[in-house]
Amino acid sequence: MRFLRAWFARLGELVFKQRRDVELAAEMESHLQMHIADGIRAGLAPEEARRQAMLTLGGVEQVKESYRDRRGFPVLEAGIQDLRFGLRLLRKNPGFTAVAVLTLALGIGANTAIFSVINAVLLKPLPFDQPDRLVKVYHTPPQASFPGIPTFSVSPANFLEWRAQSQAFEGMTAYGFRRFTLTGKGRPEAISVGLVNSGLFSLLRARPLIGRVILEDEDEPGRDHEVVLSYSFWLEHFGGDREIVGKNIELNAEPFTVVGVMKPGFDFPIVRNPNLRVQLWKPMAWTDRERAVRDIHNYLVVARLKDGVSLKQAQAELDGISSRLMQLYPRDDKGWGAIAIPLSQDIVGEIRPSLLILLGAVAFVLLIACANVANLLLARTLSRRKEIAIRAALGAGRGRLLQQVLSETLLLALAGGLLGLIFAHYGVELIVNYLAQRLPRSREIGLDGGVLAFTLGVSLVTGFAAGLLPALRLAKEESNQALKESPGQVASDAVGSRTRSVLVVSEVALSLMLLIGAGLLIRSLWALRSVNPGFDPHHVLAMGLSIPPTKFTGPAQQIRFFSDVLERVRTVPGVESAGLNDDLPLGDGSHEPILAEGWPVVPMSDLPEVDVRVISPGYLSAMHIPLLSGRDFDDSDAQGRAGAALISQSMAKQFWPNENAIGKHVTLYFYPQLTRVVVGIVADVKEDGLKQKRAAVELYFPLAQLSAPKGLEWQSFGMDMVIRTAQNPSSIAVALTEAVHGVDPEVVLLNVRTMDDLVSASLSPQRFTMLLLAVFAGLALLLATIGIYSAISYSVSRRTHEIGIRISLGASPADVLLLVLRQGMMLTAMGLVIGIITALVFSRLMATVVYDVKPSDPLTFVAVALLLACVAVVACYIPARRAMRLDAVVALRHE
Amino acid sequence: MPDEKLDVLQGTLALMILKTLETMGPLHGYGIARRIEQTSGDLLSVNYGTLYPALLKLEQEGYIASAWGVSDNNRRAKYYRLTRAGRKQVQRETREWEQTTAILARFLAEEKS
Repeated sequence: MRFLRAWFARLGELVFKQRRDVELAAEMESHLQMHIADGIRAGLAPEEARRQAMLTLGGVEQVKESYRDRRGFPVLEAGIQDLRFGLRLLRKNPGFTAVAVLTLALGIGANTAIFSVINAVLLKPLPFDQPDRLVKVYHTPPQASFPGIPTFSVSPANFLEWRAQSQAFEGMTAYGFRRFTLTGKGRPEAISVGLVNSGLFSLLRARPLIGRVILEDEDEPGRDHEVVLSYSFWLEHFGGDREIVGKNIELNAEPFTVVGVMKPGFDFPIVRNPNLRVQLWKPMAWTDRERAVRDIHNYLVVARLKDGVSLKQAQAELDGISSRLMQLYPRDDKGWGAIAIPLSQDIVGEIRPSLLILLGAVAFVLLIACANVANLLLARTLSRRKEIAIRAALGAGRGRLLQQVLSETLLLALAGGLLGLIFAHYGVELIVNYLAQRLPRSREIGLDGGVLAFTLGVSLVTGFAAGLLPALRLAKEESNQALKESPGQVASDAVGSRTRSVLVVSEVALSLMLLIGAGLLIRSLWALRSVNPGFDPHHVLAMGLSIPPTKFTGPAQQIRFFSDVLERVRTVPGVESAGLNDDLPLGDGSHEPILAEGWPVVPMSDLPEVDVRVISPGYLSAMHIPLLSGRDFDDSDAQGRAGAALISQSMAKQFWPNENAIGKHVTLYFYPQLTRVVVGIVADVKEDGLKQKRAAVELYFPLAQLSAPKGLEWQSFGMDMVIRTAQNPSSIAVALTEAVHGVDPEVVLLNVRTMDDLVSASLSPQRFTMLLLAVFAGLALLLATIGIYSAISYSVSRRTHEIGIRISLGASPADVLLLVLRQGMMLTAMGLVIGIITALVFSRLMATVVYDVKPSDPLTFVAVALLLACVAVVACYIPARRAMRLDAVVALRHE
Repeated sequence: MPDEKLDVLQGTLALMILKTLETMGPLHGYGIARRIEQTSGDLLSVNYGTLYPALLKLEQEGYIASAWGVSDNNRRAKYYRLTRAGRKQVQRETREWEQTTAILARFLAEEKS
């Protein structure tokens, strides 16, 4: 207790320091006076009395010093003193301070921004209870039919078997997406609906905000007209009406009862594409016939592992079940395996390497920033050597000196961190608004507590890292020597200049690595952009026409509706051609097994799969997809006429390598009633995206020959319309909308955008990484340039005297220029060599994110090295020119 | 003369100060020093470099309190007085000290015999 009390008293002393100093002085004085008075009383002469008193008392200063040591906390006080002194020094050199703080702020800001992205996307646990126990379960398709496709969605019958036979999971549930049209509330609106088994919510352990979730018996056909709303949908469409439960909403002109509203953070499935974010959930309610479907794979499956069951055990069990299913149902299941993937990995899997690369990049930027600041500090501490030597001579310990230098850099780093936070705030805003739209969980990105703690930590570490080198350098200083030197003229700069050289070399090496990374990504994106998608996206507008699935009772009505729409649209001024496709390129599509002439008839799971698209006449010409031979679809390809098909060049080559494909017969496995004749061959189109490497094996059949798949009920579906226009396609978007609504006001237009936008959106993840890495590489280049420049100019000013001697001994300006340039370029060259070697090792990590470029692409390496060398020459030339123009007389007098 | 005197034994100064204040009442630093020296029969010399920090420590621990006052010959001086806690501390430390000396005395007696 006493001890604590004393501590508080001492802490208090820190505040009243000055007053207590005055008091102590007064106390000492009164002590002295009393002593003298006693002496006089004892008969001494006043002078002698005073002398005696002083002798007994001893050194007043020593008394004060030991008194002070007792009074407060000397270490803490010294710290505060150091901070004050540091602050004063920094204020006295606003130029230095500004450059250092700005440099650190850029480095720390970049780190903070990227960390806040990584924190939200990779680090924060998913917003579910015990998310690490959640897994997605996929099919693994037979590689012969689906080369290069690792996972596949799941068929209902197989899912039901997995669920019934497995022991490893606490629960397993299937879900899907469907677009519904929200009607009965003014303009119809397409919304994204999650079709879920009743078990989903309990599996995720999610509770509703109000009302309840979907009950088990509501997952039966006929009783499924109940929905659970998402929080945002509830706010947007019902203004957060708490009485909503029990009310009806109208989807596809049918009434549904709202039974509950989920909490704000609940989002499932977590999707990359914001357009697909689910707005409400509805029971899946499979009919018995749907439950028996084994050969159509179109649902997703999520499951929760039982406590104590490892992913490996669950996988082993799934493997066992799959091989049993393969034997039981060879026709449908041969080659179809199952794989469990942790949910978090499923959500962020693809983007993870890119984010880690970016994290590495910003760490490099910060290292370069540290090196720059260390360099600046080094130059400054060296010019303070004399002052520091005096301090050492007066008894300042080595630790004390270290502390003083470090507290200064800590101040710098904290200021940099603060400014960096401001940079990061805007950076994050930019990233979220323009770059991260396709990142999962992008809504969670922000500067929260975790990020702030990270920034503080990084700032402190940065402060130490930047300060340690100069501080250690100082502590090694021989004070005698420093004291003897005249200011400015420093003979023993060998160590200092070696440290500086190391810093410059590492800066060059680091920024070279970043530039190479950025260069590789730029080359990849370039390569991707120059990939021929198979169509011409310019001047083409695309829009989705969404119709309720039950709107048309048969294919004939749907066919008539769409041909009416096309007819109307073609009359809009500015439209050159228009056509329809059920799935636009560069996205997901459907693969279907086909029976082809000349190919063996085998079980379905062994049939070759092709991309199947339903198109209308006019689609090829609107998209400028070249017709290589044969003919396009026309009005003669109608219901009741001979079935027609168009195939891609690759499909022709794969199926009938040395024959003319035109005239061959193909049958779609799901539509066995109609055999189709190949009437034409068209160019390959990239259906999966520009990165698609697999052969474009594509088959088109005409909308007019549409029918329900065999054995299934007819369901009408929406299509995408593409319109080629003479001028800017966006300018007639309104007229087109009116034309479509003229045919049927209930049709909902979705995603109206140009094909150019669609192409560029498909590259969004690549662009995200490339742009950010390029920005960081640019930053690194800038910082390294400043680093080289400041190191060389410092060295030139140091060597002024020496250069003066050289000039007076006959060195020409060109000699001086070369002297300085050679010094700078030697360092740069060393940095380049080290950087290239390290980059060769590290760039392999980028193999997964580059496209069509080798990670050791020599062109990139050479170009980047040249760029850096040129920049370095410029950075050295400025101080070199200053050296060249030195007047020998002035230089010699220079101290 | 001073070099013949003993320095105050470590740890005993605090007790001396407290005891002095107990017997003499409020006193200034100079007075305390003189009193200790006199009581020791001028065998001890109080090092002022340790006196004032010791006073500060006692004050921080709450055993003594200080206030500015006027000395006998009309001079401003800082007066220290014992607090209630200080009084208890004197008793406690006195007891401890007596025990310590008794034990030491027994050791020394054994040596002799």
